[in-house]
Amino acid sequence: MPAPLTARLRALLGADGVVDRPEALAVYECDGYTLARAAPEVVVLPRTPAEVATVLRLLAEEGVAFVPRGAGTGLSGGTLPVAAPVMVCTSRLRQIERIDVGNRRIVAQAGVVNQWITDAVRAHGLCYAPDPSSQPACTIGGNVAENSGGPHTLKYGVTTNHVLGVELVLASGEVARLGAMVEDRPGYDLTGLVVGAEGTFGIVTRATLRLVRVPAAWRTLLAVFASVDAASEAVSAIIGAGIVPAALEMMDRLIVGAVEAAYHVGLPANAGAVLLVEIDGPAAGLDPQAAEVEAVCHARGATEVRRARDEAERAALWKCRKRAFGAVGRLAPNYCTQDGVVPRTRVPDVMRAIAAAAERHRLRIGNVFHAGDGNIHPILLFDEHDRDEVARVLAAGREILEACVALGGSLTGEHGIGIEKAGQMPLLFSPEDLLAMTRLRATFDPEGRANPHKIFPDAKVCVETRTPRRQAAL
Amino acid sequence: MTAWTEPAGPDDAVDGVVPALVARPSSVAEVQAEVRTAAAAGRALVVAGRGAHLAIGAPPRRLDVLLRLDRLDRVLAHEAADMTVTVEAGCPLDRLARALAAARQWLPLDPPHPEATTVGGLVATNLSGPLRASQGTVRDLLLGLRVVGADGALVAGGGRVVKNVAGYDLPKLHVGALGTVGVIVEATFKVRPRFACEEAVVIACPDARSAAEAAIAVRDAAEPLWLEAAGAGVVGDRATVVAGLGGLAEEVAEGRSAVLAVAAARGLEAIAVADGAGLRTRLGAFPLEPAAAVLRAAVLPLDVGEALDAVEATARAQRARVRWVAHASCGIVRVAVEEAAAVATLVAALRPRVAAREGTFVVERAAAAVKRGLDVWGDVGGGLGLMRRLKAAFDPAGTFAPGRFVGGL
Repeated sequence: MPAPLTARLRALLGADGVVDRPEALAVYECDGYTLARAAPEVVVLPRTPAEVATVLRLLAEEGVAFVPRGAGTGLSGGTLPVAAPVMVCTSRLRQIERIDVGNRRIVAQAGVVNQWITDAVRAHGLCYAPDPSSQPACTIGGNVAENSGGPHTLKYGVTTNHVLGVELVLASGEVARLGAMVEDRPGYDLTGLVVGAEGTFGIVTRATLRLVRVPAAWRTLLAVFASVDAASEAVSAIIGAGIVPAALEMMDRLIVGAVEAAYHVGLPANAGAVLLVEIDGPAAGLDPQAAEVEAVCHARGATEVRRARDEAERAALWKCRKRAFGAVGRLAPNYCTQDGVVPRTRVPDVMRAIAAAAERHRLRIGNVFHAGDGNIHPILLFDEHDRDEVARVLAAGREILEACVALGGSLTGEHGIGIEKAGQMPLLFSPEDLLAMTRLRATFDPEGRANPHKIFPDAKVCVETRTPRRQAAL
Repeated sequence: MTAWTEPAGPDDAVDGVVPALVARPSSVAEVQAEVRTAAAAGRALVVAGRGAHLAIGAPPRRLDVLLRLDRLDRVLAHEAADMTVTVEAGCPLDRLARALAAARQWLPLDPPHPEATTVGGLVATNLSGPLRASQGTVRDLLLGLRVVGADGALVAGGGRVVKNVAGYDLPKLHVGALGTVGVIVEATFKVRPRFACEEAVVIACPDARSAAEAAIAVRDAAEPLWLEAAGAGVVGDRATVVAGLGGLAEEVAEGRSAVLAVAAARGLEAIAVADGAGLRTRLGAFPLEPAAAVLRAAVLPLDVGEALDAVEATARAQRARVRWVAHASCGIVRVAVEEAAAVATLVAALRPRVAAREGTFVVERAAAAVKRGLDVWGDVGGGLGLMRRLKAAFDPAGTFAPGRFVGGL
């Protein structure tokens, strides 16, 4: 990267807006996916959407590639710089620019943290629905790039269902205002294409989001089963009864044991699986539905069904789920979270495939996941000092994803392809499908300078694979 | 000519443009062959299902072949326990609904005339109905598509699982694109359980503005399944708010009380209607009632009243008879205009007023004669440059419905 360019960036953004000392760059060498690392040559920290556009125009003049980054909580290595000397961080774009309570809209800059949106409107009885577990840290820009989900997406949908418009700075530096405050904008759904494009179309600097009403009431239940199969049958039976829970989460034996050891919430340590079920909506319908969930769980062999009696008990039940990753930290020095999807009726099959992979590779694998969506999150435990075990973790992860695809599912439900799964895209898509995607990419970024070498399998990846550190929770 | 093509007749015209041929392929392979042949010969194609919604869009600049997909009409896989369905593009929505109803499920999209609306048409025109207030639109329920591209290749996007972020969300490219970037041959949707009960409450209002305001109060008090505001002559002889309530009997009863309380607090008369689904169908079918044109404004929900005032005032000044229905909580206002001669003036007067409030204003459908000289789409704003590039990338020879879409695409 040409030295004059760094000087021009510094002139534009000030000394605190450009990072290029090697020791300071180490912070940026990976995101939540720690199995591959590479530091950028320069990190820039623009303060406004206009500065992002100016930076990209400069890079366009020099033909330099870049990688966008928000809070760095991504789990597929989407912000790993690969043949991209400049990292553009949107974390200083922190303004909530407009709150429209009556119309249930909010306009936020890319660096606004997911949780801040709900915090800003909760007093009005509204919230921003997508709730990835990293929501206290992850940014709206990153959520838009990854089309993030979370436990409550079963009923409320993922990021794309809540984004009405974005401001996108193309790699050329051109600013495109896509979508609108209103619905049904005529023309191609460019906003819908940008959401989930993993930063390969440019950098999103602003997003117009929908707000939804906080549900009037909840019922939260926890059901204990002897086996994952029995719990899976209960999941199908709940859905089959015509109930759409707000969340339907499963934890297997290993996770339940870890949670109980860590938090002493009174879960039977020998439980084969635990389901966490939350239903929400108008108060009148909840008790009949909760009673039906209880009946269904008992009919499928639940040994115990608890119903939270108040908000404190509800919080305690959710604590088991949300802190499961912390609990796992007690079981092994390191862990790696996978993300795959199967049709929800195939959950028992994929659980068997995961168990088989664990046995084949002599690994311990726990499961805590969005059962209602068929979105699995196997947690592979390992010790980073054991190079052979690290290799077995990577192999088992690949095999689990192959099993997902073979069962009619997908390589990723909410973490993205990034660098991690680019090589496996041909499992899911034909050459014609991939050609259509590259054609789409070239429409937005003909020179391929926005987050190059991500998503597509032809990536000539040349990154240092170092000893991994502990990987962040989903 | 192939086994599946025949000469076209006047009934096959699209906005008054008569094609030379009609093609009715029976398989995806035949669709691919038809597209390849058309592309090689420089012919232009317009895709149709049962032809119910061909009045949407601008007249095609060229048209050689009307490609009818009504023979591709199978429900391929309804995975009830997974709550997904995969269906061919030519399948009409009423037949799909019957297949899903067997498992007490539905695809909660309710465009007008489901018996004449095919799955492909639903996606390509991005049709919706009252249910969008709580269930979303096509983009929220579509999981995957198979599309024949301009080179004849069959391309899959998305998948058959309810959560999926592998690669780009290609299905979004085709939603509402009027078949200008490919021929949709198959779609996968997520489906939902049907509601045990569906009722409605009708609130009579003195005028359009008060109906729009009452609707927002109902939204905040009851979060109804659907929420329409309708002008005089649509449901009763006055303007009305119609709120649909769905769910268990207990939920519906709670919602009914909440809506009735809103009406009482405003001193408005209200009645409960047991057949909520029937009323919803009637409201949804509204735009196809005889009219020279149906205009469609998209505004912010709180601007619906102002938009309706503008519509009524402009119509009065033009001595034009209009009827309107709005998806009130979504900010979508539809206006049926009886006099063909008034359409252009109404569009010219209302479009800038709606645009000044961040809204959009399109001619949703109109007779061919009415569209002449009319920009049905209006200014689409910032994304047009990217849209042109997209069209050029996915349909470089202009095979698919040239001129039908925004900006002459």
